[in-house]
Amino acid sequence: MKYQNKIYRIISLLLLLITLGWSSCTVDPIADPNNPSTSSISQNASLGELQNLVTGIEGGMRNNLNNYYDAISVIGREYYRFSTSDPRLTSDLLGKANATLDNNTFYTTNPFNARYRVVKNANILITALQNTRATITEDQRRAAIAYAKTVMAHELLMVFNQQYENGIRVDVADPDRLGPFLSKDESLNAIQALLNEASADLKGNTADLPFTTTLYNKKASEFAKFNRALAARVAVYRRDWNLANIALTESFFDLNGSLTDGAYYVFSTAGGDLLNPVFFPQNSPPAEARVVQPTFITNAEAGDTRLSKAPKRTSTASQDGLTSDYDFFVYPTNVTRMPIIRNEELILLYAEVQAQLNNSSNAVSAINRIRNAASLGNYTGATDVNSLITEILKQRRYSLFGEGHRWVDMRRYNRLNELPIDRPGDDVWVQFPRPATES
Amino acid sequence: MQNLKRLLFLLCLLAPAWAFTQVSVSGTVVDLENNPIQGASVRLKNANLGTTTDADGKFSMTLAGKGGTLEVSFIGFKSQTITASSDMANLVIKMQEDVGHLEEVVITGLASSIKRGNLAHAVGVVSAKQLAGTTSQPTVDAALYGKFTGANIISNSGAPGGGISIKLRGITSLVGNSQPLFIVDGVYYDNSSIQGGLNFVSKAAGQGSTNFQDNPSNRVADLDPEDIERIEILKGASTAAIYGARAAAGVVIITTKKGKTGKPKIELGQWVGWQMQLNKLGQRTWDTAKVRAAYGASGITVYNANGGQIYDYEDELYGNKGFLSNTRVSVSGGNENTSYYAGMSYRDDEGIVKNTGYRKTSFRLNLDQKITKFLDLSLNSNYVESSADRGFFNNDNTSTTLGVSFVSTPSWVNLYPDANGNYPNNPLAPSNFIQTRDLITNNEQVNRILLGGRATLKLVNTNIHDLRLVALGGLDNYTLNTNAIFPAILQFQKDGNGTNGALIYGTTVARNSNISALVVYDFKPADNISFTTQAGINTFKVDINTAVNTATQLIGTQTNIDQAGALQAEQTKNISRDKGFFVQEEFNFQDKLIATLGLRGDKSSRNGDADKLYYYPKASLAINILPFTSLKTFSQLKLRGAYGESGNFAPFGAIYTSLVPLNFGGTTGSIVDLTRGAENLEPEQQKELELGFDAGILNERVGLAFTWYKKDVEDLILKVITSGSSGFSNAWRNVAEIQNKGVEIALTAVPVANKDWRWNMQANWWKNKAKVTRLDVPAFNVGAFGATLGTYRIELGKSPTQLVGIGDSAIDKVDPVSKLAVFGNAEPDFNLSFYNNVTWRNFELSVLMHWKKGGDNINLTTLLSDIFATSYDYDDKSLDPKGEMTNGEYRLSILGATARPWIQDASYFRVREIGLNYTLPGAWFRDVARVKIGFSGRNLINVFDYPSYDPEVSNFGIDAISSNVEVTPFPSAKSFYFNLSVTF
Repeated sequence: MKYQNKIYRIISLLLLLITLGWSSCTVDPIADPNNPSTSSISQNASLGELQNLVTGIEGGMRNNLNNYYDAISVIGREYYRFSTSDPRLTSDLLGKANATLDNNTFYTTNPFNARYRVVKNANILITALQNTRATITEDQRRAAIAYAKTVMAHELLMVFNQQYENGIRVDVADPDRLGPFLSKDESLNAIQALLNEASADLKGNTADLPFTTTLYNKKASEFAKFNRALAARVAVYRRDWNLANIALTESFFDLNGSLTDGAYYVFSTAGGDLLNPVFFPQNSPPAEARVVQPTFITNAEAGDTRLSKAPKRTSTASQDGLTSDYDFFVYPTNVTRMPIIRNEELILLYAEVQAQLNNSSNAVSAINRIRNAASLGNYTGATDVNSLITEILKQRRYSLFGEGHRWVDMRRYNRLNELPIDRPGDDVWVQFPRPATES
Repeated sequence: MQNLKRLLFLLCLLAPAWAFTQVSVSGTVVDLENNPIQGASVRLKNANLGTTTDADGKFSMTLAGKGGTLEVSFIGFKSQTITASSDMANLVIKMQEDVGHLEEVVITGLASSIKRGNLAHAVGVVSAKQLAGTTSQPTVDAALYGKFTGANIISNSGAPGGGISIKLRGITSLVGNSQPLFIVDGVYYDNSSIQGGLNFVSKAAGQGSTNFQDNPSNRVADLDPEDIERIEILKGASTAAIYGARAAAGVVIITTKKGKTGKPKIELGQWVGWQMQLNKLGQRTWDTAKVRAAYGASGITVYNANGGQIYDYEDELYGNKGFLSNTRVSVSGGNENTSYYAGMSYRDDEGIVKNTGYRKTSFRLNLDQKITKFLDLSLNSNYVESSADRGFFNNDNTSTTLGVSFVSTPSWVNLYPDANGNYPNNPLAPSNFIQTRDLITNNEQVNRILLGGRATLKLVNTNIHDLRLVALGGLDNYTLNTNAIFPAILQFQKDGNGTNGALIYGTTVARNSNISALVVYDFKPADNISFTTQAGINTFKVDINTAVNTATQLIGTQTNIDQAGALQAEQTKNISRDKGFFVQEEFNFQDKLIATLGLRGDKSSRNGDADKLYYYPKASLAINILPFTSLKTFSQLKLRGAYGESGNFAPFGAIYTSLVPLNFGGTTGSIVDLTRGAENLEPEQQKELELGFDAGILNERVGLAFTWYKKDVEDLILKVITSGSSGFSNAWRNVAEIQNKGVEIALTAVPVANKDWRWNMQANWWKNKAKVTRLDVPAFNVGAFGATLGTYRIELGKSPTQLVGIGDSAIDKVDPVSKLAVFGNAEPDFNLSFYNNVTWRNFELSVLMHWKKGGDNINLTTLLSDIFATSYDYDDKSLDPKGEMTNGEYRLSILGATARPWIQDASYFRVREIGLNYTLPGAWFRDVARVKIGFSGRNLINVFDYPSYDPEVSNFGIDAISSNVEVTPFPSAKSFYFNLSVTF
């Protein structure tokens, strides 16, 4: 019996040892050994990491632009996108016969996801800026958060352009609790509000952003001008002419300045970088090509130098019952920058705002600024609002060709029915369906 | 000091008393034919006293007191007990063979084992003899198929150096690890399959499938099969639960050889052989009309320029008679306190494609040392160096792999170099496969060190109590160098095709280790009643770091990565820490009722919550009902049931929401990954119930084991499409559940056993059926290359291995909603294997036959051959129901309308192994040496309708889903060996 007791004592001792040993057995989480994690960067980002997020944002803004511009330019009857590997670019987008837009395919979901991915990065940047212990001033922090909001507003506006009446989600900071889809008007209002919030922190702020940016300017008070340019565009979309008017004056709008002044997507041939996504060499085989919708040529006024954006092909390109002799050639090289917003648009926005505010002479002088730049004579038509708007939409068509405006412009003036129909039974879509993955 | 002296004095006084009351026993242990048995153990029951027999089977020992019960045992024989109460000399102990292996010891806990006859689960055991006794085996995993029930093993290709996918009892994961855990002498043995980066040239991942298809080997190939004593396979959670969080795909426990007491035993072995292509397909015959039809005017020009000459390229590329050799030396022996085993082998296998081959050198030293009466140590060490030249095969999107290039080149194109050694460009395809074969390098080189140790401290050892403390651990370190060289002179690298040469230099450094400490307590309160309790803790550390450098724009013929114009680097680390505990209680009541209860708890940094404990319980019960009956014919009748749970982690990195690098204008930024990590991801959980019975008749001359199992894999992890407005396109989730049900029957028999003849046979039959029982996302296609060519489809209520594709609704049963038709299933209907071992005097014949019935492949070698009009059966007319088109034309005519032609039955029957050995009469060598000569072969007989090199193939390697896809693989080989072995 004694012996047994000894055994029990040894066993209890061993069990105790094992229990003790076990209780000290905690397993510490291991941080992702292959990539920086979103959580660590949100907690205490270094200046370098902030810069990485910004570079990620500006690089990411360019993802999937080809699908975005192709989708809305094709529906806006600016050009055809021929592709033997994907016939949907000429069937679904143009509403051929019974074809409709699909809610679960690349032209709907890819641009949508790519824009929200940048929004996500901007949200991470905001959190990182709020928590960082890096040496930045309070003014810099405010300016940098305003930068993130400005970018976010731009990306959301692009989503909105495709979704329109479906509305968009604006509150997407928490992926587990995504905000509701707002109505069309609420969506635009929310984008405007986001820009205005940012503007308050940028205007008069003499600090530099705590990172470099390829978007307009690094100085907060200058970056504000980019913000206001976007605000003017959104205000015009909202038909808030007074706000648009003020925003234009605070932006980099310059009636007599360079038409190309503005903010751009940039591309390069550096390793891993992106090339201009809508560039094809001239006379590309019709198997893969962007060719101009013929009315762009036929509706043009004689001598319009902007037709240089649509040079004649050496051979006609045809596919799926569509034919064109002109290449879409807005960007002459595969690294030509693409505008996000530029002075030529601002001048036309100014013309539109002045027309709507019944300052027709201001509107006409802005129209003439554009016409003269394209080697056309002054505007001689009527100066009632409706006539001016018709002229402004036409100038926008040629000045901003292929830059993602035509469809949006015709839609906001309820003129989609004026867009040309190429084949009997084709449709002009008002908007894209909400992606299947959002339901 | 005083006390000690007194004690010594007391001992001296008592010594004569010992001398007076002692019993001396001596004798010989022999088998039924009176051959002496060397190394048999003779032990005093319930005491720590014992000896082993010498070369003549003799032993002698002295027992203190009034003697006791001696237990005589030897592997393969039934143990015997002898009561020794007075002096006994010249005892002759005749051992009876343990025909049904009922006394064989099987590992059931981390430090306990149980007699096979008492097991509560179906056992998968492969002995050294079965593993490598019939013929020479290049790798361990390749040597397993057909040798136990419940496995589906696929040799991914015929490339030298291995590459095997093992699935135990069906599909256990969709995206996670699907390969069993390997444990060698207590050391977690890494079985990674590391891609060498050939994708840079092949671009195989990208169009159609994003998975890499580099055809890597897997690292269990580094073990030398000849060093292995036995392998136990735990096929599911009901047995593997004690290995917890990493055991869902099963556990393969490998025990290596140990030295036995006695004089040194030296074994020398030499194998030489040849291997050749397993199944030659032949080539299409050509004439001008066919050339014109297939290749138009440009083809005719090439055809005529060459005078219509036809080259036998199948023979050129796959016709190499690969010379095989394997040299082995092992020395083992020991005394009562020390035993050792040292094994050395050198293998040099040449592939059936020139410039391919496999060389492996392995050294092993196993040492066992009794330090004191109460402390045992054992140490296992293994060093392996291997080098595999694997050629360049499988799918690509650049027409550069040897396989794709071969099928895209008709036999009338001359690819041979001219007198100056300059290779012509292939006028019809982007690469010249003869040039590629001769000039590229694709090498995997491994240096691996494995160290394992075990210390057993016996704290208490009496008749009733036996308490031991066991500490064991191991290190598994290796460096894998992958080196692919594509010289700039290759057709697809020069003149603006490709990157003017490419060097892909990868290094993987793996450092894994595990340590366990446990207490084992045997308590025998009465005769034939025992409790075994064990409890312990365990840690496991993984640290695998892979860096791949890809250099392009090479300078001349330089092969250093700095001799290049551009360099790209990529690094992936796989780091994890596991900690766990386990407790297990086994209860044995008179060998009639054997019950086990166990629990394992595991934490791992691979889980979202690293410190959360996941529990894996198990319970089993075996009832030997024979003693309760009066059945005379039976020698065993046992009912058994086992239940257990085990886990599987998400793919590495799934718990992290990462920022990925993005290049922008020459600088680098960070952007959120497309896939959202899931910090709250639960590991996959498997619950398995196994029921069965074992029966034996005629003194175990015939044995039958029947097993039924049901295995539910819950919380299966998938990358699912998510709301894009979250910023992510995909997210990891636990969304699915799969149920596997199966039956396994193993029949063993010894139909003949007499003085001259002996015939052992074993027949295994098994089948598994799987079904998706939960799916929280819509049904989706996965694996292979999309629905046009056939793909897997995960669909609620269907088998996860179903093969579907687009269908022609006139002929195929097309689902109106999904627009897809089911054309097959990768899972076999059943497997039947049949192992025979016949000895007649000094001759021994072993044959392993294997029939896999059913199971389909997606064969895209046929598709590619058709597209390039090179299929060997292109001109046959056996497929078109109208009898108009040739096979090639017919298949191509329905490409895009139905995936039917590419999904093909991959049934086969093959004689996997056959070996005939003759032991030369001992007298010739004065009984000093035992000399054996033999002839053997692998895959010598193959019967299948499958229209390609081998139905056993996997383009995607060990992927959980999407094996059974063929795209121009390295063809399989059959091999012959002659062997000579000498044992001193």
